[in-house]
Amino acid sequence: MFYKKNLLAQTATVLAAGAGMAQAQEAEVIHWWTSGGESAAISVLADAFEERGGTWVDSAVAGGSAARSAAINRIIGGDPSTAALFNTSQQYHEIIGEGLLNDINDVAMRNDWDNVLPAPIVEAIKVDGKYYAAPVNIHMPLWIWYSMDAMEQAGIDTPPTTMEEFFTALDALEEAGITPLALGGQRWQENLLFSAVMTNVGGRDLWTSVYGEKDEAAINSPEFREVIETFIRLKAYVDDASPGRNWNDATAMLINDSAGFQIMGDWAKGEFKQAEQEVGVDYGCLAGLRPDAPYVLGGDVFVFPATDDPARIEAQNMLVETMTAPDVQVAFNNLKGSIPIRSDVDVAGLDECAALGMEIMSDASRQAPDAAQMMDEYVYGSVQDVVTELWNTDMSVDDAVERFDSALRN
Amino acid sequence: MTTAELIAPAARRPVTSQHLWGRVGIYAFLFAMALFFLLPLYVMLVTSLKTMDEIRLGQIFALPAQITFEPWVTAWSSACTGLDCTGLRVGFWNSVEILVPSVVLSILLGALNGYALSFWKVRGANVLFACLLLGAFMPYQVFIYPLVRFYAQIGIYGSLPGIVLTHVIFGMPVMTLLFRNYYSALPSELFKAARIDGAGFWAIFISIVLPMSVPITIVAVIMQVTAIWNDFLLGLVFAGRENLPMTVQLNNIVNTTTGERAYNVNMAATILTSLVPLAVYLASGRWFVRGIASGAVKG
Amino acid sequence: MQISRNVRHVRRNGVAYMALLPMAAIVIFAYLGTMAWSVRLSFSSSRMLPKDDFVGFDQYVELFQTSRWLTSLENFVFIAVFFLSICFVLGMLLAIFIDQNVRAEGLFRTAFLYPYAMSFVVTGLMWQWILNPDLGLQQTMRDLGFSGFVLDWVVDSDTVLYAIVLATVWHGAGLVMALILAGLRGIDMDLWKATRIDGIPAWRVYGFIILPMLRPMIITSLVLLSISIVKMYDLVVAMTNGGPGTASEVPAKFIMDNLFERANIGLATAASTVMLVTVLIIIAPVLYSQYFGKKGASA
Repeated sequence: MFYKKNLLAQTATVLAAGAGMAQAQEAEVIHWWTSGGESAAISVLADAFEERGGTWVDSAVAGGSAARSAAINRIIGGDPSTAALFNTSQQYHEIIGEGLLNDINDVAMRNDWDNVLPAPIVEAIKVDGKYYAAPVNIHMPLWIWYSMDAMEQAGIDTPPTTMEEFFTALDALEEAGITPLALGGQRWQENLLFSAVMTNVGGRDLWTSVYGEKDEAAINSPEFREVIETFIRLKAYVDDASPGRNWNDATAMLINDSAGFQIMGDWAKGEFKQAEQEVGVDYGCLAGLRPDAPYVLGGDVFVFPATDDPARIEAQNMLVETMTAPDVQVAFNNLKGSIPIRSDVDVAGLDECAALGMEIMSDASRQAPDAAQMMDEYVYGSVQDVVTELWNTDMSVDDAVERFDSALRN
Repeated sequence: MTTAELIAPAARRPVTSQHLWGRVGIYAFLFAMALFFLLPLYVMLVTSLKTMDEIRLGQIFALPAQITFEPWVTAWSSACTGLDCTGLRVGFWNSVEILVPSVVLSILLGALNGYALSFWKVRGANVLFACLLLGAFMPYQVFIYPLVRFYAQIGIYGSLPGIVLTHVIFGMPVMTLLFRNYYSALPSELFKAARIDGAGFWAIFISIVLPMSVPITIVAVIMQVTAIWNDFLLGLVFAGRENLPMTVQLNNIVNTTTGERAYNVNMAATILTSLVPLAVYLASGRWFVRGIASGAVKG
Repeated sequence: MQISRNVRHVRRNGVAYMALLPMAAIVIFAYLGTMAWSVRLSFSSSRMLPKDDFVGFDQYVELFQTSRWLTSLENFVFIAVFFLSICFVLGMLLAIFIDQNVRAEGLFRTAFLYPYAMSFVVTGLMWQWILNPDLGLQQTMRDLGFSGFVLDWVVDSDTVLYAIVLATVWHGAGLVMALILAGLRGIDMDLWKATRIDGIPAWRVYGFIILPMLRPMIITSLVLLSISIVKMYDLVVAMTNGGPGTASEVPAKFIMDNLFERANIGLATAASTVMLVTVLIIIAPVLYSQYFGKKGASA
């Protein structure tokens, strides 16, 4: 079957070359965007691609790691898709090293990516001077959401602007009989919470020196100890039923005002929108608890498995062009809850929180790379294990420091 | 003791108390246990018949106030995974296409292996069988990567033959074990007589051994249908885009990451996905007990 | 005609060799080949893709310094011991009670056996839901007025393994019941009469006379259950995803996560090698004595 496909592709190539004109481009795309808002967002990309004359073949696999394994297995199996979704991270750096991905440098150069993309994103997708992935969005994973109603019930007039005010607010909520902090007790959510504490207590410097440089002094510094202590302090504000809860069920607690705060990526907006909640009326968003809180840039990228077939390369380039075009970017990101990858788009169509995000992001000194981008996957995995154990057991601060040290510096 | 005796209908034995209270105790225990075993099915069933408004009330054990079949229709024909809103029905037929050849082939091979191992002297066969049994205890995950490479080389990666071969491979230990045990419990006189009459390997297999294999074949069918139909991981990795089984679609529907969870649709989809093995059990549960008895007597 | 008989014998056996070729190919390529491959990789520094280098026991050293792996191993032992023993006792009890001339025997049997037809994913999802303190039994009991009712196994690190065991027992006890029941049906009526006449109490009859006679059934069910417990992955993922924290991590999940999510093939293959060796040490003697040793167990 694989053989047959290849033969067909070759025939098609020969025909296309003979005719000397572009055929309708077919592109199979593996992704994990299966839910309501996500499907709507990816269909923006699919429609735009088809408008430009391509044919979009959709391969959705629920669950990020399942979809990524499927993509990698197909690459190894010699039957790769045209494009595959990954996170802005080091997930795909090793397959670049093995020469299994096509670079998309031509398109990137033509569109001046060096200048229109934020530096941390460029860093994630540019390897040895060449671009290998097409970013489609920027997710800030560490937004602090709150329920206006819950705040009111607890007598909190202004949203917190410092960590201490945050704890005061949590106490007030507790007293009003509202779950102060809505958290889904799953590994990745506990890690988001920890990252938020780290960026807001330790600032950008600690964030990049601990997670980025894995600096021994920084890991053993009093600032990092304070991060751990603050994280432990937060345990008291989470309800008992938290473990295993899905993130959107935690968001639902804010929507029905049974919880005060949730720390979650900007995709949570989709939940509020679906419940017909309005920002500034029903819920609010905070980008950080200090004026210089770093804006962590996560997100999604598409990579393009290696192929010699000119028709396929053509399709890949067309996908990149389509996905990163300014109009597509605005439409896509509005549905995805994220913000566009480029600074040269019209922000008028964005909601309040996204506009705030765009504004903060324009200040390069506040841009910070996502944790997954600063570490190999296996290192990040061990770090996540430490965080989840720290949250779920009575680990002491000393032990925690030691565990972080060995996980990061191995 | 012979197979014939074993598969004969149960003859009655009263050993424990015939007292009223003893009987009450027996029934009380069985009812309590039946309740425990049926509870999850009950919850799934009632939830799949409720509207989302009713589910939000949070009483998962309550009977539906208003029965709706909408979730079932949605799950079967219009639930979305990604851009594709065709429900489970495509996956159902894919699963059938995977199931039929996989079950037939793995059982035929299991029977053949069991027969060759029990009645014929093949040097090294027991070593092979031992390796096979040990292999049954290895997590599938270990096999995936090298098999992907191997399939890619022989050109069947991501195809129907690929997934069928995978099921044959992973079904072989238990299938071989079942048939080997069953055949070694058969009277060897039959076999010897046939050989004296000059019957060959295949003649004995086809005309004597296979006709006697009905009880254990039923067990094998039940076990393979269940295992293959319920498989998720292997289907996802080896079946290829065109042949993704129903369980993969179920996962896509159930594990959507945003929005309110449509519990009723999820439950309907779950029951629909489980229907085939359930039906097989309901239809042949009694044969399962009898067949497995005949296979497990002798080690 | 000694010679021609030998020739014929060889020719006949030749067919048997041929018939076992598919099995030999599968054992050699799919089982031994992949096992050797993964053992080899466990001595390399492979991350996302396999590498050819040799780093000695580095991956093993790292593995046994990884607290999550150690937790996985402990959990595995806990789950295996409790799952096997509870499944066995419960299955035995169910079989004995069903064997007391009860009415509607078929219904009870079906109720106890049907969970075996459900996939682990479905089993995990259902029990996760029923045990969820906000939605499930706990909330329902509180709504009924038992405000102090606590059933929060899945959300408590100390008790989450009970929840896993509960779900696995629900899934597997029926199989034990079916096997034991089949065994009971095969026991000679005269034996029951004799014990009755001798006035031996029922529990002693079952414990000291019947149980030893059921040895082949028991071994078969233990082998089938053990295979599922070593491979247990889907159920944990669906039910707790290893949480809270790392409280319900299991080895197969550790291997899977490192193989794919964490792109750490070296560590994953080291872990699977450890599992392989463990299985060899524990299972091999059992399998050997049961399937290759002297025939002639009680049945």
